[in-house]
Amino acid sequence: MKTSSRDHPSRDQGRVRIVAVEGDVDLSSSGELRRVLFEALRGVSRLAVNLGGIRYLDSSGIATLIEVLKESQKTKTEFALFAMSPAVHEVFRLTHVIKIFQVYETEEQAVGGAGA
Amino acid sequence: MQASGSRSGVRFKAEWRLPSDPAFLPVVRGGVERLCAVFGWNESEARSLTLAIDEALTNVIRHAYHSRPDGVIEVTCEEKEDALEFVVCDVGEAPDPTRICARARESQAAGGMGTHIIRDVMDVVEYKQSGRTNQLVMTKRLKSIGGS
Repeated sequence: MKTSSRDHPSRDQGRVRIVAVEGDVDLSSSGELRRVLFEALRGVSRLAVNLGGIRYLDSSGIATLIEVLKESQKTKTEFALFAMSPAVHEVFRLTHVIKIFQVYETEEQAVGGAGA
Repeated sequence: MQASGSRSGVRFKAEWRLPSDPAFLPVVRGGVERLCAVFGWNESEARSLTLAIDEALTNVIRHAYHSRPDGVIEVTCEEKEDALEFVVCDVGEAPDPTRICARARESQAAGGMGTHIIRDVMDVVEYKQSGRTNQLVMTKRLKSIGGS
């Protein structure tokens, strides 16, 4: 089972999986991101997604993260985002969805679930 | 005084003709972002404008051409007296007016965010039809230099 990809490397830290999203997330790549993050939810208690490597994000990327959030609620897996750049934060602001996510500044906070 | 691309009195105009293939989206994004910088918008404003154009193209690919890559999209960007006008044309399925911005703003639904972004970023947004051609006309007022 492939839980990582060239563009979105992942590693496990205990029961927490950390996935780094990198590059452009748009219509041509959001489907692959969805596949990687859905797979990454399996077998862990918490998924922490590093958004710091995103160069460009559109609403299809936001839609993907909403789908992953909903899937995480079904599988009772914690889902956290961290390292959001100002550019990525702006897209969340424009789409009015930031409140539904657990958002942290650092990996340490996202892994531990503290200091939101 | 308005910002001008050329500062010579010659107004800017650019046209792209591209297939409805998402692989071409970064090409248009790159051009629009650089253009916005030339016209005086700051980085954040340029990113928002670029996102709005990208969302318009994405909607055409997904909804007008149903993700087929062989549709034709024409994008025109033209400097007007006090604004930059972007026109996106396609000959795919016409948009359903009842579904444009139908998503509630604070909804947690995964789709329908693009049209809200376009309306939030642009000053004027108009959907038009001419024969088989669907047109989305988006206008953003230019920033005044030394003004508000």
